[in-house]
Amino acid sequence: MGQTIGKPTSNPFQNSTLFSSLKRSSSSQPTCDQNTRPSIFSTLKRPPVSKPSDFIPLFNDCIYAASSRTQEYLLFKDPEDKFHPSPEVLTQSVNLNMTDTFNCTVMTPEQRILLGADWVWAVLEKPTKNPRIQIAVQVLHMQEREDTEENGITPEACSESLQMAQKESSNKSTYERLVDFCTSIGKDCYALFLFFGKKNDKGNIYGVLSNNFEAAIGKCNNIDRTFIENFFKGSRVKHFMSLLFLLNC
Amino acid sequence: MDLYGKMAATQDMKGKGEGGDQNFDYMFKLLIIGNSSVGKTSFLFRYADDAFTSAFVSTVGIDFKVKTVYKNDKRIKLQIWDTAGQERYRTITTAYYRGAMGFILMYDITNEESFGAVQDWSTQIKTYSWDNAQVVLAGNKCDMEEERVVSVDSGRLLAEQLGFEFFETSAKDNINVKQTFERLVDLICDKMSESLDTDSAVTTGAPTAKLTDSAPPLQQPGCNC
Repeated sequence: MGQTIGKPTSNPFQNSTLFSSLKRSSSSQPTCDQNTRPSIFSTLKRPPVSKPSDFIPLFNDCIYAASSRTQEYLLFKDPEDKFHPSPEVLTQSVNLNMTDTFNCTVMTPEQRILLGADWVWAVLEKPTKNPRIQIAVQVLHMQEREDTEENGITPEACSESLQMAQKESSNKSTYERLVDFCTSIGKDCYALFLFFGKKNDKGNIYGVLSNNFEAAIGKCNNIDRTFIENFFKGSRVKHFMSLLFLLNC
Repeated sequence: MDLYGKMAATQDMKGKGEGGDQNFDYMFKLLIIGNSSVGKTSFLFRYADDAFTSAFVSTVGIDFKVKTVYKNDKRIKLQIWDTAGQERYRTITTAYYRGAMGFILMYDITNEESFGAVQDWSTQIKTYSWDNAQVVLAGNKCDMEEERVVSVDSGRLLAEQLGFEFFETSAKDNINVKQTFERLVDLICDKMSESLDTDSAVTTGAPTAKLTDSAPPLQQPGCNC
């Protein structure tokens, strides 16, 4: 499950809002300005992890490398119009594992439907290796890409078990399923909606991370793509500011 | 018709009326539960795919596989749910207990703690499932005899006390995997037969064909698996 991505020799990441907070060398401190909350990754530097700084820079660098490569494909157009990377391939591009401290579990196709997550990152507790903090990630592609291949699953590949999974989950959207999944675990499980391109910025990767999306349900809001995208506009951020981390510092 | 009969009939009608593989007569929902790392996922992979890997990947939340078996010329589709054993997933896993017709409650014969937790898992079944759910207790990893800390007799005795069937199994060496599932299916069919007998006797006073009878086929909503 997942793959290990080597530490890059340079920082190729130029433009991403989501991961801009990670643009620092392994030994430097986060560079968030005073008006923004610290990223979730910087909160991981707190005790009780014995040597928390060991893996965070490495994780950052891995993310830089993987997301940079993904970005290249977001805007790529084959001059011969023969190469069309599928959402499935792009979704699998940011999986990484660091044994003992951090792992990434790629969901099976059935789990992707049932739980709404494409993969789950976990910071592991030593020595039990039980998750201490989890981030369940759902990748959202540009609409036209989603239309081409919904959820990355072709009709041919839509097996009986996938249809069963869809039947089990038919009363909720994928966004709601992810939120439900994280809520069922608790506040140490964060939902991360990762946008591979946005309408006005097709070449970037954005993300919204929270362990309190369920509050929207209490406020009678439907959790859908529009709702999540509204976090970028800032209009609804106020309602959830206490627990919302916009990774754009 | 009691709940058992209703469940089987409902599941059956779903299978025939909607998309997917419609070639089955009944669908049974089964769950594999037990402590983390006892081998639930490996057990399911061995049964469904005849595959085994020693690499350990902790299950996140819940997952499932589908396998069709045949019994007395009836096609029974098994929807087998693989649950995460870690406590943090308990809310989501217990939500899937509802409607389950059978459980494989698994412990690891090399792990005393997992055996000690069997009673708690049994209580979970009683709390979140329904009375007629059938349970088989499975002591997995019986290929690791040198590391055994739970004797066969201890497992058998506990199963008797809890009213469960018992097998020692090995997903790695493919020991008693198929037999465990087959026994669970038999138990469910027996229970369905009993339920339909009781139901029919109460409502019509007439004798009915048993689920375990092989012929002639009983038309829906009765069953003949």
